[in-house]
Amino acid sequence: MNFWQRTLAILHKDLMAEWRTKERLSPMAFFSLLVLLVFNFSFELGGAALHEIGPGVLWSSFVFASLLGLSRSFADERENHSLDALLMAPGDRSAIYLGKMLGNLLFLLAVELICLPFFTLFFNLSPGWFLVPLLGVFFLGSACLSAAGTLFAAMSSNMRLRELLLPLLMLPMILPALISCVEATGLVLDHEWGESLYPHLKMLAVYAIVFIALSLMLFEYAVEE
Amino acid sequence: MLVDDIVLEKASKHFASFIALRAVDLSVQRGQFALLAGANGAGKSTLLRLAAGVSRPSSGRVLIAGEDPQRNSKARAAIGLLSHHTLLYDDLSAEENLSFFAQLYGLTDATQRVEEVLQEVGLLEHRRRRLRGFSRGMRQRLALARATLHRPAVLLLDEPFTGLDQPACAALSQRLLQVKEQGHTCMMVTHRVGEAAALADRLVVLRRGRICHDQAWRGSSQDLVETCASFLGTTL
Repeated sequence: MNFWQRTLAILHKDLMAEWRTKERLSPMAFFSLLVLLVFNFSFELGGAALHEIGPGVLWSSFVFASLLGLSRSFADERENHSLDALLMAPGDRSAIYLGKMLGNLLFLLAVELICLPFFTLFFNLSPGWFLVPLLGVFFLGSACLSAAGTLFAAMSSNMRLRELLLPLLMLPMILPALISCVEATGLVLDHEWGESLYPHLKMLAVYAIVFIALSLMLFEYAVEE
Repeated sequence: MLVDDIVLEKASKHFASFIALRAVDLSVQRGQFALLAGANGAGKSTLLRLAAGVSRPSSGRVLIAGEDPQRNSKARAAIGLLSHHTLLYDDLSAEENLSFFAQLYGLTDATQRVEEVLQEVGLLEHRRRRLRGFSRGMRQRLALARATLHRPAVLLLDEPFTGLDQPACAALSQRLLQVKEQGHTCMMVTHRVGEAAALADRLVVLRRGRICHDQAWRGSSQDLVETCASFLGTTL
């Protein structure tokens, strides 16, 4: 069995378990919507606020939702110590990381797609084709969050204070990507898709690739006791 | 010629300042069933985790079928681990759990093999039930099916009787006896040494991370309990 087959087997197992339990996607989506709702009532959203704080509000809700999902991503493995069985299986152990990371990416993208209509509603944003590039920003931003988050979730999964440690480890590391996500989203909402958007997308792509490559190399050591 | 399936050479394991294993030398020959006894914190489970390739020795080396399980994928494929944790997923059915592991081990006859092991542990009729609804005994039988699914040459057993009632213990012992007769090399850690008397043909006693006793074993359950107690100064 090659690396990609192992990765897909782990991804399939995670998706199947999630389909049965809805333990990750439901809380993530509800939490993200609640954050949007709280901001909607806390500030007078719409109009100028859309451009000033809209992207920040949107990505804050995604980051908090991702923390919820990431903290659960190794819960199944912890419950019956099945991570040991995964580590004992033949083949490259970094396939475990990639399978988990892809699962987290899919869950986060699903949450973002659920939240987008509510975001346009709360911010009085007329939906239109101009939002299509936002999907690219969502994809790259989510790849960054999942790439870094999965590694830190694996590292903290065996620790006593894992719920506390995960945000403490992850948030400072994703800051550069988060800034680019907010900037790029702001530009899309301002209908500026050209030259100014490109550097942010490039930054996100490089961040995701570098973090995935690093995580593939470090995962085996990260899950050791 | 006798082949050593499990070899630990001066294997030590430290957790920060705590030394769990101190330069342990141990080799278990092919087909042998070694019982690892010791008090809590003696280093038994740590030793088993090193042998399973789940944990890395701080110094020394561990070889399974002549290869380092940390570096060599084939060595890992030769190991099966049955622990008091099932190492399975509660939200998947018995069949889905085994199929997943069959995929990871790249079994070409996965469907057939899954049916075969489910039949062996008497869970074929429960194949579509999720693990969450299984009793402790059923879970442990399924865990044994997972551990032997890929036909490992080496079977590591970490407190496999924990949480089982007497009939379930007897059934598991019976199944392990069959596994032993199939020629698997086994190393078992347990506090319930009486249960292991019929299985073990070697007794290794660990104390404070060191092997304090290692001998070939053939005797009754009572003898085994007394021998272990004499080394550990306590009743097992």
